[in-house]
Amino acid sequence: MGSPTPSPTQPWSGRFPGFDVLGQSSHWDPVTTGVVLERVGMAPDIRFFTPSEQGVATALCDALLGQDDPTNQESRVPIVNLIDARLAEQQTDGWHYHDMPADGQAWRDTLAALDTEANEKFGTGFATCQGRHRASLIQSVQDLGTDQWHGLNAKHVWSLWTRYACTAFYSHPSAWNEIGFSGPAYPRGYKNAGVDKLEPFEVHDAKPADDPLRGTP
Amino acid sequence: MSSVRDRNESAWLLPADGKHVNHQLRHDMRHFDDTDEVDLVVVGCGAGGSTMIQRLAREGWKVVALDAGPFWDPDTDWVSDEAGSHHLYWTEPRVISGSDPVPLGSNNSGRGVGGSMVHYAGYTPRFHPSDFQTHTLDGVGADWPIAYGDLKPYYEAIEGELPVAGEKWPWGDPHSYPYRPHPVGGNGEIFLRGAEAMGLTAKVGPVAIVNGRFGNRAHCIYRGFCLQGCKVNAKASPLITHIPDALAHGAEVRANAMVTRVEVDERTGRATGVHYVRDGVARFQRATMVAIAGYSIETPRLLLNSASDRFPDGLCNDFDQVGRYLMVQGAPQTAGRFDGEVRMFKAPPPEVSTEAFYETDPSKPYKRGFSIQTVSPLPITWAEHVAAQGHWGADLRNYMSDYVHWSCLGALCEFLAQPENRVTLSDEKDRHGLPVANFAYSQCDNDSHLMKAAQGVMEDLLHAAGADEVITINRYAHLVGGARMAADEQHGVVDAGCRSFAVPNLYITDGSVLPTQGSANPALTIMAVAARAAERLISTSRRGH
Repeated sequence: MGSPTPSPTQPWSGRFPGFDVLGQSSHWDPVTTGVVLERVGMAPDIRFFTPSEQGVATALCDALLGQDDPTNQESRVPIVNLIDARLAEQQTDGWHYHDMPADGQAWRDTLAALDTEANEKFGTGFATCQGRHRASLIQSVQDLGTDQWHGLNAKHVWSLWTRYACTAFYSHPSAWNEIGFSGPAYPRGYKNAGVDKLEPFEVHDAKPADDPLRGTP
Repeated sequence: MSSVRDRNESAWLLPADGKHVNHQLRHDMRHFDDTDEVDLVVVGCGAGGSTMIQRLAREGWKVVALDAGPFWDPDTDWVSDEAGSHHLYWTEPRVISGSDPVPLGSNNSGRGVGGSMVHYAGYTPRFHPSDFQTHTLDGVGADWPIAYGDLKPYYEAIEGELPVAGEKWPWGDPHSYPYRPHPVGGNGEIFLRGAEAMGLTAKVGPVAIVNGRFGNRAHCIYRGFCLQGCKVNAKASPLITHIPDALAHGAEVRANAMVTRVEVDERTGRATGVHYVRDGVARFQRATMVAIAGYSIETPRLLLNSASDRFPDGLCNDFDQVGRYLMVQGAPQTAGRFDGEVRMFKAPPPEVSTEAFYETDPSKPYKRGFSIQTVSPLPITWAEHVAAQGHWGADLRNYMSDYVHWSCLGALCEFLAQPENRVTLSDEKDRHGLPVANFAYSQCDNDSHLMKAAQGVMEDLLHAAGADEVITINRYAHLVGGARMAADEQHGVVDAGCRSFAVPNLYITDGSVLPTQGSANPALTIMAVAARAAERLISTSRRGH
């Protein structure tokens, strides 16, 4: 796998050249290895979402995690398959806001609402409308704050989408490579903790001044 | 005080062969029959419940603890991975409401033997003496029916049993710890650097993580996955600090047993045992005494679900106290960006803390205070921080790629006890057909003042350490209250010894009995309160009830 090569459309790539967290997998305990390697194997089949929901969810999650550029699908994480597996197994966080249905139903309801809105505004479904149109719909939900969106608190909808999508994406070793995270660490542990200290297998950030808040140089 | 091994042999009962469970001990565990009238049945095997059964089993009591979750094996059940640790949390359905609803699950709710301490960070500070009389001192919160001095010997005992590592502690009642402080990683280094630049006192610890060796428990390996269950057996949880000793003294731990109702004999007014479901079969365990230790959501829920003719509004709820005064701590987390690589994931999240802002400052417009600690979120949790700033799409990815440069601190703000912050029963039902808990939470002005003040200090500290940017996420941590102890039955559910006012042989021995919470992580105090309740139970029974 390895860290993806730098790309002009993906300024986040290539910060840790040559770093590959899976290169350490022989040092992990077997139970952890099983759990992590399952994510890089074949994505689980869709069981919870209907085909139409799957299409909307894929378009939504790919946009939320910036993997919707059709010309660059390297290291793409199957976010929707991972979310679908959780919902199929009812592996939710348990709690839900009193003004939201339980998570599975909340996913179905909000995907349907997105699709309806795309049809009304752009004459085509959310999965097939233009990228900038999709982005504007997503942005409009975030911009509502705690106001109502299709009968739901928009902030709680936003929380549902981002929680599930981020959990799926940042559970994946390719995402760890991108951010320089060293992954499972048992039974090996760390010997060189401290500012600017690296383990032999870790790689320094090649663009340490690339603070997103200051803007990309 | 006698040596730790003489009063709690748990660490020496763990295997020294590289495995992390004494399978023989579990295999040989005593099994009671449902029809045996055990001396005490405990509901919930976390911080409070485990301490109870360990203490009482040592005295020869016939005790059985029922837990709704599994009897964990760290070797096979836990992973060094964030998303793969979902099963450590209580994820049965619950509803959250109020003007500031508090997410549950991974945030604050444990499951299985060991309870929330399986996934807590490991901080084990004591409460301050002032915490026990906030109403008298500051006109807010509530006074406890006991004082700090009543808990102090139990704090010392439990600190020895966990055991706790840290520097000499200058705040509250100054004290030292049995083990030396751990070395710190990048995040702790930043905290200490910022504090020094500000002229602020910060200390390493206090953490219930082995530094050196303790019995057959291993030294910490600094892998950073404390919140995912410690596979090393270095971080303390009752699974390794109290359960082994309890089993060796004849206690039974009955895992995967969901208690659905406490039975009270309407004629005698005494509890007779608990109904529970195991492997889909409804059962009833007889007992002379019952102790509930299901924590602040499930304990009130069980009481409310145990309504009867005598207690139409829920067991022990004659004065509408059950479920009320439930508290969380405001736990804003502020992160700072450094050009150097902090790599905060390379050490236990609990490293350094300050309690310099813990007490009421008369110059401020709010009462009580907050503590600040290192927190060190792993990638999925860190993504929550970044997403909370409003980033998504390419912005989010770009921001996330900066992870190694960030240091993250967390505050614990003392939120005040309020009657309307409570558990009630929802219309929604769980798979057993029982109404689930609805947990309502709303902040008061004092609460929001503290959140802002804590954020300000964390920003100053990170800037002082050299951060060029800071971001904050507002969140909540910990649960206490919901069945609090009080001087009388009109103000609480249990007395100073954790005995319920309404049913003489029913005890509550978990975090739900705490009337206030200070700005301290509650685990140590929950264990100390349970240890005190157990000791009083033992001395009462010796005197012949």
